[in-house]
Amino acid sequence: MILRAQGLRKAYGRLQAVDDVSLEIAAGEIFGLLGPNGAGKTTVIKMICTLTRADAGTVRINGHDIRSHALQARGALAVVPQENNLDGELSVVDNLRIYAALRRVSVAPNRIRQVIGEFGLEDKARVPVQKLSGGQKRRVMIARVMLAEPELILLDEPTLGLDPSIRREIWNIIMQIRQRGTAILLTTHYTDEAESLCDRVAIMSRGRIRHCGTPQELVAAAGSFVLETAAADGCRVFRLFGDRDAIAREIGMEPPSGQYTVRAARLEDVVAAVETGS
Amino acid sequence: MNRFVDLILGIRAVLLREMLLLKVKVGRFGYVFYSLMSPLIYLAAFGFGFGSRVRFDGVAYELFLIQGLICMTSMNNAYNLVMTSVSFGRLSSKSFQSLITAPVSPVAIMAGLVLSGMLRGFIAALVIVGAGTLLFGVFALSWLSVLALLLNLMFFASLGVVVGLMIRDMESSALIMNFFIMPMSFFSGTFFPIDSLPGVLRGIVTLFPLAHTNIIMRAPALDKPVLVSVLVLLLATLMAGGAGVRAMSRYSE
Ligand SMILES: Nc1ncnc2c1ncn2[C@@H]1O[C@H](COP(=O)(O)OP(=O)(O)OP(=O)(O)O)[C@@H](O)[C@H]1O
Ligand SMILES: [Mg+2]
Repeated sequence: MILRAQGLRKAYGRLQAVDDVSLEIAAGEIFGLLGPNGAGKTTVIKMICTLTRADAGTVRINGHDIRSHALQARGALAVVPQENNLDGELSVVDNLRIYAALRRVSVAPNRIRQVIGEFGLEDKARVPVQKLSGGQKRRVMIARVMLAEPELILLDEPTLGLDPSIRREIWNIIMQIRQRGTAILLTTHYTDEAESLCDRVAIMSRGRIRHCGTPQELVAAAGSFVLETAAADGCRVFRLFGDRDAIAREIGMEPPSGQYTVRAARLEDVVAAVETGS
Repeated sequence: MNRFVDLILGIRAVLLREMLLLKVKVGRFGYVFYSLMSPLIYLAAFGFGFGSRVRFDGVAYELFLIQGLICMTSMNNAYNLVMTSVSFGRLSSKSFQSLITAPVSPVAIMAGLVLSGMLRGFIAALVIVGAGTLLFGVFALSWLSVLALLLNLMFFASLGVVVGLMIRDMESSALIMNFFIMPMSFFSGTFFPIDSLPGVLRGIVTLFPLAHTNIIMRAPALDKPVLVSVLVLLLATLMAGGAGVRAMSRYSE
């Protein structure tokens, strides 16, 4: 296992932001952490990358405990945080140079130029990072971790707020990273992203992991079909059922007043069900 | 051996970042003005104003003043660079996260930051030395004053890291500046000897590290009282350095 996290907890004052979270990620696996705002996803990422101290629990990266062997553990992992943490006054090239030096990867200048090219940042190479757009900054942050070539990459909301073409681009980059055997832990709000990228996902809500498995497993466990009805106030109501017969029985007992739809369930329906607490 | 190489490479990386950041800042006029113009104005105003008509401790005032300004300027520059860099990186740009999550030990981060502050403070001090030579024909450096300068830089750069790690917001840095650094720079023997102060104040001032820098800076020889000042500064540096490394290894957002 590249990542083994056990019993992680973190409280901020009275708020239990993360409550007994355990995760395991194998080499080359893409693992998705899904959940609504405030579920505790970022807190989990920060505890794994040693930025936030857990109140309880252990994390091992490639066998190195993040407390007792912090430097080895940090060396095996790289993180792209949710919020930009580049040196805004410095150019793209300088940010990459510093990162390479900090990671102790001796990179030839042409390797930096190559990464800049791969991420389509050639004409911004000498521009101070604070003058880039949000999507360009995100690309710099991902380019940065590519220099380090770690065994595990943590991506906190890698595509949040990006336009569809850049999102696809970043998906491609993520698939390429996996091809090299690098494991990825990513958080996202987008269920389509999780479905198309992740080998396994965990659905978090209020600090806990509620479900964990492959996207197909989660859908099958929660109910493969959705009954979509309109409530009296016009809101759509979604309910998950194990099979069509169960839906037929439900409709027989309590016929919907308006129009209704029956369709195959998606991961989105499972996540929504967890969020509404049903 | 390997750990030593790791340490050196870590220090080098931290230093590289600080130097690149400094290069950007130096390009701005206001920054240079803030860090060097005011000591240069003090130097010209008081130096020409009092000149060699005033003598302290048997020394012409120009020399006394230049030495005091070397202490003050090196303190301000070393402290400020590091304190601002750490607190800004922690609280504003968040780029301090890249240091803390890198495979670089807290000792290396501390050493890299301190060295960057020392380097900048040293350059600022050299500007004062050069200005003193040009304006008054007085070359102010002896080997003891170089020792004083290095100790001063080391302590105040370390203090800068500690304060930068501790403060909760950028405003509190101004508070520390106005209530601690500013009074210290005026009362520690920069412009006049500490002996001119009334007894109680003199007692308080001997607690200021900068006062000890001034004592060593102006000492003709390394006698016993001077040695005490050296030890005081070394001890203070050790404490600040230890506190910085400790805060860094317990860092948590
Ligand atoms: N430094 C902090 N101080 C106090 N509370 C915090 C802090 N960081 C996070 N929290 C709280 O912990 C909870 C979990 O936050 P976290 O950022 O982990 O959520 P998230 O799942 O990443 O949300 P999002 O999808 O919005 O990024 C939230 O309720 C948040 O307010
Ligand atoms: Mg988050």
